[in-house]
Amino acid sequence: MSPLLEVEALQVKRGDRTVVDVARLSIEPGEVLAVIGPNGAGKSSLLHALALLQPATFGAYRWMGQAVSLQREAQSLRREMAVVFQEALLLNGTVLENAGLGLKLRGQVALAWRPAAHAMLERLGIGHLANRSARQLSGGEAQRVSIARALATHPRLLYLDEPFGALDVLARSALLKDLKQLLVSEGTAALFVTHDFTEIPPMADRVAVIDRGQILQIGTPQEVFSQPATPLVRELVQVAHDLVRTLQGMR
Amino acid sequence: MKCFRSSVILMVLIALLAGCGAKTQAPAETQPKTEVQTQAPAKPTNPEIILATTTSTQDSGLLDLLIPRFEQQTGYKVKTVAVGTGAALAMGEKGEADVLLVHAPASEKPLVEKGFTINRRLVMHNDFVVVGPAADPAGIRGAKTATDALTKISSAKATFVSRGDDSGTHKKELELWKGASISPAGDWYVEAGAGMGQTLTVASEKGGYTLTDRATYLAQQKNISLEILVEGDGPLLNIYHVMEVNKAKFDKVNAEGAKAFADFLLSKEGQESIKNYGVDKYGQALFFPDGGKVESDLTGGK
Amino acid sequence: MQWIGQGIVKALEMLLSGEGELWRVAWLTLRVSGTATLLSVILGVPVGVLLALTRFRLRWLTVSVVHAGMGLPPVVVGLVVSILLWRSGPLGDLRLIYTPTAMIIAQTMIATPIVTGLTMSGVQQLHPKLHLQILALGASRWQLFWLLVREARMAIIASVIAGFGRVVAEVGASMMVGANIVGETRVLTTAMVLEVNKGNFDMAIALSLILMLLIWLVISALTRLQQGRRPL
Repeated sequence: MSPLLEVEALQVKRGDRTVVDVARLSIEPGEVLAVIGPNGAGKSSLLHALALLQPATFGAYRWMGQAVSLQREAQSLRREMAVVFQEALLLNGTVLENAGLGLKLRGQVALAWRPAAHAMLERLGIGHLANRSARQLSGGEAQRVSIARALATHPRLLYLDEPFGALDVLARSALLKDLKQLLVSEGTAALFVTHDFTEIPPMADRVAVIDRGQILQIGTPQEVFSQPATPLVRELVQVAHDLVRTLQGMR
Repeated sequence: MKCFRSSVILMVLIALLAGCGAKTQAPAETQPKTEVQTQAPAKPTNPEIILATTTSTQDSGLLDLLIPRFEQQTGYKVKTVAVGTGAALAMGEKGEADVLLVHAPASEKPLVEKGFTINRRLVMHNDFVVVGPAADPAGIRGAKTATDALTKISSAKATFVSRGDDSGTHKKELELWKGASISPAGDWYVEAGAGMGQTLTVASEKGGYTLTDRATYLAQQKNISLEILVEGDGPLLNIYHVMEVNKAKFDKVNAEGAKAFADFLLSKEGQESIKNYGVDKYGQALFFPDGGKVESDLTGGK
Repeated sequence: MQWIGQGIVKALEMLLSGEGELWRVAWLTLRVSGTATLLSVILGVPVGVLLALTRFRLRWLTVSVVHAGMGLPPVVVGLVVSILLWRSGPLGDLRLIYTPTAMIIAQTMIATPIVTGLTMSGVQQLHPKLHLQILALGASRWQLFWLLVREARMAIIASVIAGFGRVVAEVGASMMVGANIVGETRVLTTAMVLEVNKGNFDMAIALSLILMLLIWLVISALTRLQQGRRPL
């Protein structure tokens, strides 16, 4: 089976600087790929470029095995994907109206999008908030709405740009669990950017370590943590090991 | 949220309809007028005439009487552009108007000489008067000549308010100062840069003197506390001519319309209307018709 | 002082008697300024949104020009439009000088920078990633535009109120390109100036009261639209 998304020779430039320079990257259907690295490594830029939200140059861009003409097909391709940002970015209106936005944009009538949006809100445990104003939610609730909105359109690939960054610890762990469950049951692939390695084991099938726009290592969490390929990766991984040992020591 | 979009669309539709109304209204309005007349002549090919005249002429209200009569009889539509004398003459020099009705003979003559206008004809006159506060600090009441009055005002350094706007009245005022060999300057000489009505108000508020045409003074009398102190002197005549803009020089001029309007002013009916204007309201006529005469008849060869 | 009282009495008389001339002048005022404001919205809102979202080489210059335009004196616009529309001007053949259309053109030129500038500010105040989120949900450019307009509706409607207020109140441009011709291009502001010049102060005050009433009616409607039915 061909990868869901496959890109080659991806470059993102900001002014004179090259912020992303990736020779090859692919995501398999249904797989969750985490992207981790220090601040300023280019993780977000990579996500924006792949999600067709930021101008970039591609040697090749293949979706489900087919080459894509980004000039003409960007918008229709975006409709097969969805993005969740660090802030929920909800619009004026009720929770239900927000959750249904993706469906409305695709031309669905109220009779269709209302129940579909409501169902997705239920699966994220916030069906009871459907008629509340979007302005009156806690951080965790708002982010659940954003995820519901993204998944309501049943995208094949979901991009998440540090989605739990603004949440407190408890909200974060609850949402992480629910999100993973949802991704597995929907069969949705995901590209998941984070700078917090504790989020990787519950979420990721593979992890890519990126620094200064380049991918240093890519593999299963097991591979990366036990066999770091470069000094920086080793450093990152070391921090994880130290934390585990400290926690074990405290027990 | 849908109602927001619908209300926006609704407003757009309303305004579009309103905007369309703007064009269609103009021709629709002229029709009822010509239909009222049972024997209106055939509508002229180019019914629009641009008349450039002065603000004081418009403020007198005379045109509000003459123009509707003219329009009814002929089917023309007169667009009256009332600006300062300088601007009215400039419009003639550029062909932006079809016919001019102004009252600054000295400045009109160059236009005729250069061929910008044709058929300059004397229409009517009224007169200027020097007005001032009842207390008359400069003691000009009953002076025989305007220059005499101005000389007294200047020596007393009494407040004098000038139009200061290059209008016919302003030009007349400057002529009179020149005749008295005085160059007015100083705190007592106030240049208003405004129309006649406003200048009178300023003079009234400041308790000063000013030169005004009788018509505007009569119209404003109820609002101001100034009296007529000097009148009747020859140079105080305010003489109105009508001139048609020369089509040979400016292709877009409505020559037939201009001539029709000028002819109307000089017609028996036009002259009668001018003679009677203001009598019921002010007890005296505001203008004196002079059709058929020339300027020297009035000024005694000056 | 007695004029203000007389003015109020006269205003009521004129309104109740349904005097033809007054209604014609008031309607023309609404039509000219309303159409100009509408046109400025059609031109200004899309341009404002575009300026808020895009980066291009001379953007700062374009934005400065828009902002300078917000302070453009109406008489200057009147002069420029006159020069264009005069018989001797490049558009003289259109014979638009001294017509309501000329006034609409001038007033549109006055209002558009205001609507553009304030719309741009309004959209710039939205979260910088909002438009990306909307695109990411699969919106077309058109859908993106409408959603952002809806999100920034407070600022945008404020810009419409400001634009309308500016043009319905101006005299200079209307006077120059319209010439205050009775029955054709006379609006409330130019009629007021005429009455002041003639010394009919009670009439002038009456007209100003009617003008204020008209402005208040339109702006309350716009305010209602802006504030909506729900409290924050």
